[in-house]
Amino acid sequence: MNWIVKNLWLIPALPMFAAGIGALLKQRSRVPAACLAIGSMVLSFLLSLVAFAHVLGNRANGIESFNFGWFQFGNEWLKLGWMLDPLTAVMLLMVSFVGLLIFVYSVGYMHDDENFTRFFCFLALFAGAMLGVVIANSLLLLFMCWEIVGLTSYLLIGFWYAKPEAAAAAKKAFIVTRIGDLGFLLGMVWLYAQSHTLLFYDAGAGALESASLTHLAARTTVLGLSLASAIGILIFCGAAGKSGQVPLHVWLPDAMEGPTPVSALIHAATMVAAGVFLIARIYPLMAATVSLTPTVALQVVTWVGAITAVFAALIAVGQYDIKRILAYSTVSQLGYMMMGLGVGGVAVGMFHLITHAFFKALLFLGAGSVIHGCSGEQDIRRMGGLRKYMPITFLVYAVGMLALCGFPLFFSGFWSKDAILHAARDWNISQAPFYMGAFGALLTAFYMTRQVYYVFAGNSRLAASSHDDPQLAAHFEDPAHHVAAHPHESPAIMTVPLMILAAFAMLLGLIGTPAWPWFQSFLDRQQPILSFAAFSAPGIIPVMLSSSTIVILGLILGWYFYGRKPIATAESPDPLGKLQPQIFSILGHAFYVDAFYGATLIRLNTIWSRVCDWFDRFVWNGAVQTISYLFLGVAWIDSSFDTYVVNPSFDGGCASVSRGGRILSLFQGGRIQSYLRMIGLALVALVIFLLWGAKR
Amino acid sequence: MIAINHAQIDYAQLLQLVWPEIILVAAALIAVAVDLLLLRKQTPRLRFAVAASLGSLGCVAAILRLVLAPVQANILDGTLIANPLVRLVQIAVLALTIFILLLSVDSKFTRHVGEFVLLVLIATTGMMFLVASQDLLVIFISLELLSLSLYILAAFSKRSLQSWEAALKYFLFGGMSAAFLLFGFSLLYGLSNSTSLLAIAGAIHSPSLNPLLVIAIVTTTIGLGFKVAAAPFHFWAPDVYQGAPAPSAAFIASASKVASFFIFFQLAVLGFAGAEGTAALPHIVRGWVPVLALVAAVSMLLGNLVAITQSSLRRLLAYSAVAHAGYMLLAIVAHSQQSLAALLYYVITYALATIGAFAVIAVVEEHKGSDQLSNFDGLARQAPVLSFGLAIFILSLAGIPPLAGFFGKFYLFVTVLQSSKSLLWLVVLAIAMSAVSLYYYLKVLKRMYVAALPPDAGQFESPVLSQVLVAALAAAVVLLGCAPHLLLRWIEAALQASGL
Repeated sequence: MNWIVKNLWLIPALPMFAAGIGALLKQRSRVPAACLAIGSMVLSFLLSLVAFAHVLGNRANGIESFNFGWFQFGNEWLKLGWMLDPLTAVMLLMVSFVGLLIFVYSVGYMHDDENFTRFFCFLALFAGAMLGVVIANSLLLLFMCWEIVGLTSYLLIGFWYAKPEAAAAAKKAFIVTRIGDLGFLLGMVWLYAQSHTLLFYDAGAGALESASLTHLAARTTVLGLSLASAIGILIFCGAAGKSGQVPLHVWLPDAMEGPTPVSALIHAATMVAAGVFLIARIYPLMAATVSLTPTVALQVVTWVGAITAVFAALIAVGQYDIKRILAYSTVSQLGYMMMGLGVGGVAVGMFHLITHAFFKALLFLGAGSVIHGCSGEQDIRRMGGLRKYMPITFLVYAVGMLALCGFPLFFSGFWSKDAILHAARDWNISQAPFYMGAFGALLTAFYMTRQVYYVFAGNSRLAASSHDDPQLAAHFEDPAHHVAAHPHESPAIMTVPLMILAAFAMLLGLIGTPAWPWFQSFLDRQQPILSFAAFSAPGIIPVMLSSSTIVILGLILGWYFYGRKPIATAESPDPLGKLQPQIFSILGHAFYVDAFYGATLIRLNTIWSRVCDWFDRFVWNGAVQTISYLFLGVAWIDSSFDTYVVNPSFDGGCASVSRGGRILSLFQGGRIQSYLRMIGLALVALVIFLLWGAKR
Repeated sequence: MIAINHAQIDYAQLLQLVWPEIILVAAALIAVAVDLLLLRKQTPRLRFAVAASLGSLGCVAAILRLVLAPVQANILDGTLIANPLVRLVQIAVLALTIFILLLSVDSKFTRHVGEFVLLVLIATTGMMFLVASQDLLVIFISLELLSLSLYILAAFSKRSLQSWEAALKYFLFGGMSAAFLLFGFSLLYGLSNSTSLLAIAGAIHSPSLNPLLVIAIVTTTIGLGFKVAAAPFHFWAPDVYQGAPAPSAAFIASASKVASFFIFFQLAVLGFAGAEGTAALPHIVRGWVPVLALVAAVSMLLGNLVAITQSSLRRLLAYSAVAHAGYMLLAIVAHSQQSLAALLYYVITYALATIGAFAVIAVVEEHKGSDQLSNFDGLARQAPVLSFGLAIFILSLAGIPPLAGFFGKFYLFVTVLQSSKSLLWLVVLAIAMSAVSLYYYLKVLKRMYVAALPPDAGQFESPVLSQVLVAALAAAVVLLGCAPHLLLRWIEAALQASGL
């Protein structure tokens, strides 16, 4: 077995180890903490490169895995393991590389935070757990790392735990994802019950290998679902929670309360992608079928993805917080990825995942740079004119925005989104996802244009309004810049990672064009063929043209509403909001999903908890009280028995013992005559005892 | 091994048999000669060191002789006996004597150092003969040799009136007891026409108990009960324990006890075989067993109860000795081979703990004037090693696991119950009295560890030899408690080999 396969565990173990050491460091030791985290990440990245090179050089190898027994129960061994295949290799490279850039960026962004050390400890733990999810060859190991990811996400969102919103958001993120994880857990248990293993690949005996899949696909269970689909849908619940799919998307926008690098790392590039990755990992299970039509599981994935894509994009139009817009955009893009997985398979979904990771990290870090430059301001209405003050940030942000919109040819988002739309158009169940995707693309272009105009164009509206808002002042992430009168460009340690990400946001698209589908063939273990003739295949050009048209239409619409007349003041209403105030208000409130949950699920839960509380107070508590009074009574009787019967008799006994001692010591008068008399007495007594006292 | 078994005396072989005793006597004479001829002008400490070393060397030589040239002998129907069991008891007595001699090195009670060592070794010789005989005459003569030496040893602190008084009481009491013993022995001779224990046992064997035998049993019990300080023949003990110099008191309380209990067991089991009777309540059958059971019960009750009211540690130990004598008499009452093993284990470990306790008392008296319990207040802060040692000895006497005293008691009670279930009442009494004994033992510990040091108490330097001695004894007590088989295996092997 190859060295890298055997030692793949080092990749997640190194950052976890760094986190462990970091947890022991003192608050003051900032430099060691950062060096440790970044150093471990560099090593992980290098190892990931080695792993990637290994997979690249051995296309024919199939899936390489390393399994070991964890513990035995009964006659069965619970096995864990890790694996290396193109999917793992690509994800390892992406996570460790984007993670590394964000680590470096954080050094600048968190520079003045007093809990710098703790931040890097959490960050490293998160990265380790995420890499663990990626290499896991066992659903159980994946789940364990998945839960650590959830935990660190909680810790990082609530990093500024003194802020009530942050604490609430952390709680919300944890609870909502747990709801999804419940499905995941059920699916896992069911899978174990059916296939007796949780290993993905185990030389023919794994859950994702043909023997198991045939069994799972052939059996039908409730609602006419095949076992494979039922288990797949349950696991998809977990993925939906993690990846913010409707209706479990509500935590993701709130999670923006965390530090911006966290938003970039967790809520753009990696953690939310974990759900998509999970579906890609168990794709054989999702797609396992005996017929030719797509499985129910994949249909569910497709529809949920498509709905999420449009739904979140609509909400993004009505938001004013720069990070919330990006958050809804992330939700929307995750919907695209799910849709891509559903309609086109692993390669399509994963391609968008990878490109999105780069440009969304770029956008988030760009937004962080903007917030940093504006002394903590996050409301786009109070920005404006930043192009003058932050030229580099503007440039890279524009690249990210065009990539996200899918601007034709030169930006990666174009190619990956186009692949999804193309696959959606060919889907043989329904054409609706294609149209929903196209509408989502239009919206994406529109809201990104809106955001860029708000933030970078016109004149600065910052100085006029920022400092008189005490609540915003409390949000300042950077007290050192508190007094800055006008926005400023960020330091190089923040802009260099941005530029690197920008380069990738543009160039990554080139590895997945229809003419040279290197990425897709890499995942499918084929040799890529360079052929411009592929463009002439049926459907390619029309889809490309239509999606380009849609994007450009979105951009023009954005310019029409927001670029034509510069926004004058922070208080002036949104131009679109002026046109349709009711609809815009609904969008601004995110379709009132939170309110809806509050009125239904949470209300129900509150009522139920009241009932339980009442039951506890009056029924259980009464019973417990009765029993405790019973015991108190017994104890009282016992105690009085002790006090009035046992103690006096014991004391009396002790008194008589010592009295006996005193009486007996009277014999010891000190006079030898009486001593000798005692011998005589004893003689007589003993003789009498023997002669008359005892039987013959 | 040299085997001697003759009805006639071959003096060359007799010499072989009594080599250890000869060595002891020679060592005693050398010690006194060296002391009187060479060291008259020296300090008592040096004289004690030299004399005690010579005496100890004599004991070591005797032990070596016993170990390296074991003799198996039975001369003139048990007049003098040598077998592994006798040898074991003799070695134990010699080892305890060495401790006593070493303990005396630091004492200042007398200027007659040579004579002290001489008497100790003569007493030891008496014990050696005592345990090696099954003949009434030899037993009595050895006992007198032992007792007379002990009376003088008790009086050895000539400047102390208390010592004089104690010795006189001891002597008078002992003389009376000896008279009773001799009376009993003469009755036994009259009954059996022999002085050999086995012959006596053969003669007195009859279904009904001869009234003369009753008297003989009772008077013999009185004579030996005096030696082992069983109630109500214990009256000398508190005075002697308190008045005698510490080494003498320790000697009386330890080595002499070992020899006396052994011969008590021999005499009762061999000499009165066939006249046991039973001590099962309420159907007591006449014999020596109910007599001893009664004496044991009285000893346990009286010893433990009176010990509670004592304010002097020596007197407390004296009454605790009475109580322990009661426990040990249970082993004789049970009269099985196992119970002899238990008795030997008990009495040896008891002797170790008692010598240790007297070693600590000697140091405390030296510095504080008396052995009053109040002088032990806060001792742990003045003399941590000695206090810790005393704590171990006291806890062992109290029978707290994992110390030797616990296993001794446990094993003793188990063997007593194994020999006869009907002795349960005695065992229950013994256990109940052990619980009472905890009170006065813990009182001593409380004074040492809990009570505050009196403000006027200064620091004092404990003598190194005493500390080493105490530490060694404490280590022995702990070791034998944790690993009783070290001693027990040896005792049981000796019992097997001697066929008793």
